[in-house]
Amino acid sequence: MAKFLRKNAWERQGTFQNPDLFWYAKGVGVMQSKALNDPDSWWFFAAIHGENLSGSEFPGWKYIPGPPHVPAEPLPSQATQSKFWNQCQHQSWYFAPWHRGYLVALEAQIRSAIIDLGGPEDWALPYWNYFGPGGQYKMPPAFGQRQLPDGTPNPLFVAARFGPNNNGVVYIDTNKVSQACQTNTVYTGSNWATPRPGYGGPVTSFNHDGDTSGNLEANPHNQVHRQVGGNKPNSNIYGLMGDADLAALDPIFYLHHCNIDRMWASWNEAGNRNPKDQNWLKGPAAIGERGFVMPMPNAKPWIYTPEEIDSLAKLNYRYDDTSVPPVINTLALRLRKFGIQSDKLLTETNMDQGGGLELVGANKGPVQIEDGAGIRTTVGLDSVWKKVSTNFLQASESNLPDRIYLQLENVTGNMDATTLAVSVNHQLADHISLFGLRNASRKDGHRGGAGLTFIIDITPIIDNLHLADTLDLGSLEVTILPDTPISEDNKITVGRVSIYREQYKI
Amino acid sequence: MKKRASLRSAVSTGILGLSALCWAFLLTSPGKEMTGGNSYIPICGLDASFQISAETFPLSAMMKGWILMVFAMMLPKLIAPVQYIFERTFMHRRVAAALIFVSGYIVVWAVAGFLINLVVVAVSRLTPQSAIPALMAGIVAVIWQFSPAKQYFLNLGHNHSVLSAFGPATFRDAFQFGLLHGLWCVGSGWVLMLLPMLLPVGHNAAMMVAAFIMISEHMEHPRAPTWHFGFRLKLLRIIVAQSRIHFEKMKAALARPSPQPGR
Repeated sequence: MAKFLRKNAWERQGTFQNPDLFWYAKGVGVMQSKALNDPDSWWFFAAIHGENLSGSEFPGWKYIPGPPHVPAEPLPSQATQSKFWNQCQHQSWYFAPWHRGYLVALEAQIRSAIIDLGGPEDWALPYWNYFGPGGQYKMPPAFGQRQLPDGTPNPLFVAARFGPNNNGVVYIDTNKVSQACQTNTVYTGSNWATPRPGYGGPVTSFNHDGDTSGNLEANPHNQVHRQVGGNKPNSNIYGLMGDADLAALDPIFYLHHCNIDRMWASWNEAGNRNPKDQNWLKGPAAIGERGFVMPMPNAKPWIYTPEEIDSLAKLNYRYDDTSVPPVINTLALRLRKFGIQSDKLLTETNMDQGGGLELVGANKGPVQIEDGAGIRTTVGLDSVWKKVSTNFLQASESNLPDRIYLQLENVTGNMDATTLAVSVNHQLADHISLFGLRNASRKDGHRGGAGLTFIIDITPIIDNLHLADTLDLGSLEVTILPDTPISEDNKITVGRVSIYREQYKI
Repeated sequence: MKKRASLRSAVSTGILGLSALCWAFLLTSPGKEMTGGNSYIPICGLDASFQISAETFPLSAMMKGWILMVFAMMLPKLIAPVQYIFERTFMHRRVAAALIFVSGYIVVWAVAGFLINLVVVAVSRLTPQSAIPALMAGIVAVIWQFSPAKQYFLNLGHNHSVLSAFGPATFRDAFQFGLLHGLWCVGSGWVLMLLPMLLPVGHNAAMMVAAFIMISEHMEHPRAPTWHFGFRLKLLRIIVAQSRIHFEKMKAALARPSPQPGR
């Protein structure tokens, strides 16, 4: 039996009656009392994820509206900063394992503080399961109280949380946030149950920012960041959770990531496999890059690789609930829509079956989103689109219909706490969160400012066109609508809107 | 995804193969094929250059050799942008767009090469048989290596331009992308190309070292453009890390007990 059990934060209604939350608050308070240059401090740990200490305006740390009152000095040595800070892995296959190690290290720090205060020695971080029944989509109330039961300031309280409607009410809108990724069966790659780039993310080197999120990262992870963070109306201030360089300053961050980690554990328990590639198992150090390293209590650094933490049992942890959502046979369902019945197709594999990816259409060029009205762009389809309509017409159990993706490429800007509703021919394709946009747009970011790329599976929409006998068309209308007004200073640019087909083989 | 990976791998194998061919040509035919039969300095060192005169200035041979050298040294740096072009272009236009991108890139290096060669000729005539120009270039190279300006150009090289999908605009964008990529590449690497050409001996070895450094630094992540006193030797780090992994695997395999005969 594992020593540490992570439980639902909504136990005892998510209040300080829940001892996990009470002791978490106490531990956070101890860490917040330490200086920025102390590796055991709350601020140092937030900077491990990402920091913006040099910013001359918000989101620079000096300009964050408190509480908490975030220090901007004293800075640790440059060598210490280079070793520990700005490590978080995003838009990468290292996303899940890096954050697992990060949680374990933070937990060790908090637990150490709790033990010193006379608390439980087996304390473990609770998770916020916003998909849970009842009112669990709401932020646990303990995070919204200004004071602890003893009347002292509540370290879990953060002023800069504006919520999905930018009005300070924090909850998760489960119409936009989903756990659909849990039915994926490939970590990196694609198959019938898994759209590109796969559950865990694309193959990358050490990737602090930029390009394409994996399916777990895109939704729910990025969506929850945006929804909790939100924007302060009529200002350039947004919630801490909305920006990767501020997010880990908010104590709710770790409960959100605990839930993401629980989902990964649940996905593995369902029989899905993590990568076996040495470059994943050994981490980015295997390809000459920074390794993953965390300060542990008493200043002992812990260097870890994905291989060492790819199962919770290796870490002596478990969750109280890793129940798996029902598996849906997407392939059989789709083929049934096409009038094809076959018992042979009722089993799906957890192998990467993604075939050739081919561009079949694109819009004319960059478009800018400058206000709340959004934009509409025409995506012209090349003559190769004929291949799609022919392929659909000839679909059979041995000639599977293509999967069709819409890509928003080279998306740049600085409004991370924004969600875009993307529609194709007036049918909603998906909601995408722009979490990570600012860093991905920086010229000195990991992709040199090339921005983010979003992959949206629009196969159901194209299937409907096919079934309505309207697939032979010259263009598609794509509408992109932001959920927050975008000022001219903060405009978002979409470099290109493209359509790709992907072929599959059984 | 597999086909996507194999497309990427086909692109990188093709480019590396082409680069290797250029290297083989350069290393096996010094002073002849590279320069059209003329023993001009950029390719064969300074020894022959001391006899050079304005009347015998072998421009076309010199540029032929220079471009061959650019292909050998720089092609591996084009793997990522060519993969990007392949993925973002209609299948029937991929090869053409990639070739046009490479043309734009080479145009910039050709112009830079012309200027660099002029400098080398002038220096060799002003200070014949002197190692001082190489020494001075070495000092500039070290300062440039650690400078914010160099980092600025390296950062720009990581941004891949948006490409139009339809019509002549695809090829226009690919050419512009090549020009810009070449410009950032020249900006970061000009002095590393100049230095070996000023060396009295060991030109080819120096060019190979310069190519290794330039490929390495191109593989590093962008960072804030400030003075940074460190070498960007990612390729070396990859070789060391991967060798260690393979060595450990071999050691583990050898340590495993061999199966008993008859079992």
